[in-house]
Amino acid sequence: MTADLTAVAGAELATDQLATERLAARATAPAPRPKARAGPLEWILIHLTFLVVSVFFLVPFVWLLSAAFDAKATAYIQFPVEPTIMNFVRIFTEHDFGRVLVNSVFVAVATMILVVATVALAGYSLSRLDLRRKDWITYAVLLLQTMPISATMVPIYGLARQLGLRNSYLGLILIHAAIELPFLIWLMKGFFDSIPRHLEEAAWLDGRSKLRALVEIVLPLARPGLGIAAGLAFLSAWAEVLMVVILIDQDSLKTVPLAFYEAMRTQGGYVEVQYGVIAAMAVIYLLPVMVVFFAARRLMVRGLMSSTRGL
Amino acid sequence: MAVARRGRLARNRLYLAGLSPAAFLLALFFVGPALWALGSSFTNRALVGIDAANPRFVGLDNYVRLFGDPDFAKVILNSVVFVIGSAIIGQFVLGLLLALLIDHAQLRGFLASNFVYAAVLLAWVNPTIIAGFLWVAMFDFYNGSLNTGLHVLGAQPANWLGEGPMLAVIIANTWRGTAFTMLIFLGALRTVPSDIYEAARVDGAGAVRRFWDHTLPILRPIAALTLLSVTMATFGTFILIQTLTNGGPAYQTEVIALYAFHEAFQNHAVGYGSTIAVVMLALNLAFAVVFLRWSRARA
Amino acid sequence: MADVEFDEVWKQFASQTAAAVKGLSLAIPDHELLVLLGPSGCGKTTALRMLAGLEEPDSGDIRIGAKSVVGLEPKDRDVALVFQSYALYPHLSAHDNIGYPLKVRKLSKADQEAKVQRVAKMLGIGHLLPRRPGQLSGGEQQRVALARAIVREPRVFLMDEPLSNLDAKLRVHTRTELKTLQRELGTTMVFVTHDQAEAMSLANRIAVLNAGELQQIGTPDEVYNDPANLFVAEFIGSPPMNLLEATRDGDSVVTAGGWRIPAPRERAVAGSGTVAAPAGSGGAVTVGLRPEGIAVVQPVQDAQDGVQPAAVVAVEPLGSEVIVDVQVGGQSLKIRAAPDVRPESGSMIGLRADPTAVRLFDRATGLAIH
Repeated sequence: MTADLTAVAGAELATDQLATERLAARATAPAPRPKARAGPLEWILIHLTFLVVSVFFLVPFVWLLSAAFDAKATAYIQFPVEPTIMNFVRIFTEHDFGRVLVNSVFVAVATMILVVATVALAGYSLSRLDLRRKDWITYAVLLLQTMPISATMVPIYGLARQLGLRNSYLGLILIHAAIELPFLIWLMKGFFDSIPRHLEEAAWLDGRSKLRALVEIVLPLARPGLGIAAGLAFLSAWAEVLMVVILIDQDSLKTVPLAFYEAMRTQGGYVEVQYGVIAAMAVIYLLPVMVVFFAARRLMVRGLMSSTRGL
Repeated sequence: MAVARRGRLARNRLYLAGLSPAAFLLALFFVGPALWALGSSFTNRALVGIDAANPRFVGLDNYVRLFGDPDFAKVILNSVVFVIGSAIIGQFVLGLLLALLIDHAQLRGFLASNFVYAAVLLAWVNPTIIAGFLWVAMFDFYNGSLNTGLHVLGAQPANWLGEGPMLAVIIANTWRGTAFTMLIFLGALRTVPSDIYEAARVDGAGAVRRFWDHTLPILRPIAALTLLSVTMATFGTFILIQTLTNGGPAYQTEVIALYAFHEAFQNHAVGYGSTIAVVMLALNLAFAVVFLRWSRARA
Repeated sequence: MADVEFDEVWKQFASQTAAAVKGLSLAIPDHELLVLLGPSGCGKTTALRMLAGLEEPDSGDIRIGAKSVVGLEPKDRDVALVFQSYALYPHLSAHDNIGYPLKVRKLSKADQEAKVQRVAKMLGIGHLLPRRPGQLSGGEQQRVALARAIVREPRVFLMDEPLSNLDAKLRVHTRTELKTLQRELGTTMVFVTHDQAEAMSLANRIAVLNAGELQQIGTPDEVYNDPANLFVAEFIGSPPMNLLEATRDGDSVVTAGGWRIPAPRERAVAGSGTVAAPAGSGGAVTVGLRPEGIAVVQPVQDAQDGVQPAAVVAVEPLGSEVIVDVQVGGQSLKIRAAPDVRPESGSMIGLRADPTAVRLFDRATGLAIH
């Protein structure tokens, strides 16, 4: 959504893309600044504020966990009287969640592969393109990035129907990839810009074709960027729900977001809400996001800062 | 000359070929749908029935209808309230304050700041629809944590999603999106060189003075851009509101993306829904152009 | 191994108003070490990159071994280029960097290994082979880059300021080594530099470029002793040639300060790439005198013929020689004198020009008058 903030994140990433460790080190350690002692009143005030803020942001998650492990979960936070994994068992036995999970992993991994291949080529090409009006292409990409997918879902639905891309993973994968492209092309262009052209020129002179020089010399150096692209593409495809909802309505093709969406929407009304079951689904839905995210938190934060769409 | 220029062009052709898979996908799913929406907005295209197969050209009828549509006026007003409430007052102000507080606490060496940072971040990285689900439970009239909390404090429980739905979606969206602004400002604050502070302290400047004279000028240019980005992101909000209220009750939280969706998919008026989408895209484009101008001016 | 030819080569970049290379014609015979010399932006690197195939000329022809290479991919030209930045592949060890071009050529593992080891031994970098470029010093990286070029046994070596990132001492040392190496290998080499001392010490011949145009091509002695124009005169030599505005007066020229210098006799000049201006074109000329072409006469004898009194501005003792800065008629000169010549700043000394060292240039065209 955010071209300039993309710029902030991207530029910082790009400057030291040749040394992942340095990147990580710098990201974790803020510039050292002198520490000053605080008075007791200041300590109390700040920690009181922190307490209020933490309660606001964490209570929903505390509820989620307590509900997921409580067979009789309600909307209210209560520690499960008898902690149980019954909810998890039920989603696999009653909601066919195993197949849903496999579908989701397939879609997310396929999207990730497609995205990485596409943005590696496109980012490199855009970086090396030698046209006077090259800026315009870059700005066009940034403009597309600010385009809300919620505005085009109606035409996308119509288009997908005409092209026979509904209820097909091909359609889902293509569109999930497309959603992530503008930002990631831009990000990867930044990475490739920082790789000296002399390196690939040296490889050409050493006898390599343009494509093999890219694969053997340039891409290994862009690995941190490709890693970020892969991570973000996977997460986005895993989490994205809007396109799944409008493109998929066959049970056998259901992915996690759709299963979750349907579970939520069929509740309420006269039916008692099965909070525990939905919470268990949410926990599984959330799990890969948390794992990927906290494994490479700093990198992903930087990336996500510029791509709030899709998650 | 033309013959000899082929070297550069040949290489560019290769690069253009490298861009083509991406260009194809972007054309198919960004440019194509936008043009499709524009085209459909001049027709009576429907989702089902005869008008689905053979839409009729209706000129500007959809636009005329849209601008005389009292529901649309309400939708625009809702969108503005939602953006001001959740993006500007909620995410932006809260994010800025949190960034200043966390930065200050880090300066003091308070470890709790890391905990708060992670908590705010957690709300941001989870899928939107989960955020929607969590707040459905939080806002539940009978058992929701919010009302139970109010009860414990001795206050009256509120019918959040029934009587104050706009406030409810604003709270939920603030919860979800605050991290973005916070991260941007935390990043910006870390670029403030510490010697500026030291010099200011030597000069005898108080904390408030230091903020106005030194911190604010550094944050101001990035603040404008952040404001625009959160506005654009919030303007397109769909899933969160659909999950919480689905625009209701009685259009009270119907924002522009939901309205386009409901017209097209529930009322089957694809032409009219497309018209709404076109207006939405145009507004977004205006924001984006201003945004790009500003960021270029900064660079 | 092959000879190299530039034939009326033009190149203009889209982003620039002036052409980067203007009608360059050069013939480099096999085995020669030719230095392309000029200030930054003079087109020397562009010319080299066109030879490598990294840029294509707008017009004109470039031939290697009598065959046109225009339009040929870099990979098919069989030339090796050592970049100013060395362009070592950061993710490969020194060994794999050197072996890369061999791997590309699908040599057998054993052959690759033998060649890498031989070149590494030749350059004394055997102990560096397992290391990555990031773990090497600038000088070591430079050697690895050189090894990567040599190992291929290409038809032509191209060097783009390969010494400019080394410290002064190492630069001079490597210069000598490089020259020896080129002679032993016998491969044609085109070497780009902006450093005239480097050019002088390395080159068989020097081609001086400025603003995209070839100024002069010749042996180091030729370009030093008989600069074809004022640009070459000023660019080559340190301190550069002294240039004094003067007017012709019969057999001699008279400078602004009234210094009468005998005009050089007409001589045959070899290797000049430019057309000599017709002798005696107009009265306004520029006199060129190398710092060592002026003798210091102490004490000043006004009466003595051809000796010009001059005020000493500064004295720079350099150990093996002394540079004396003087003023004559408002124009500054630098004189290279023996180490024991130590006039006082502010004092007057006498100057005598060595008649064989006097050079004349047409002031309007800047071209040498022979």
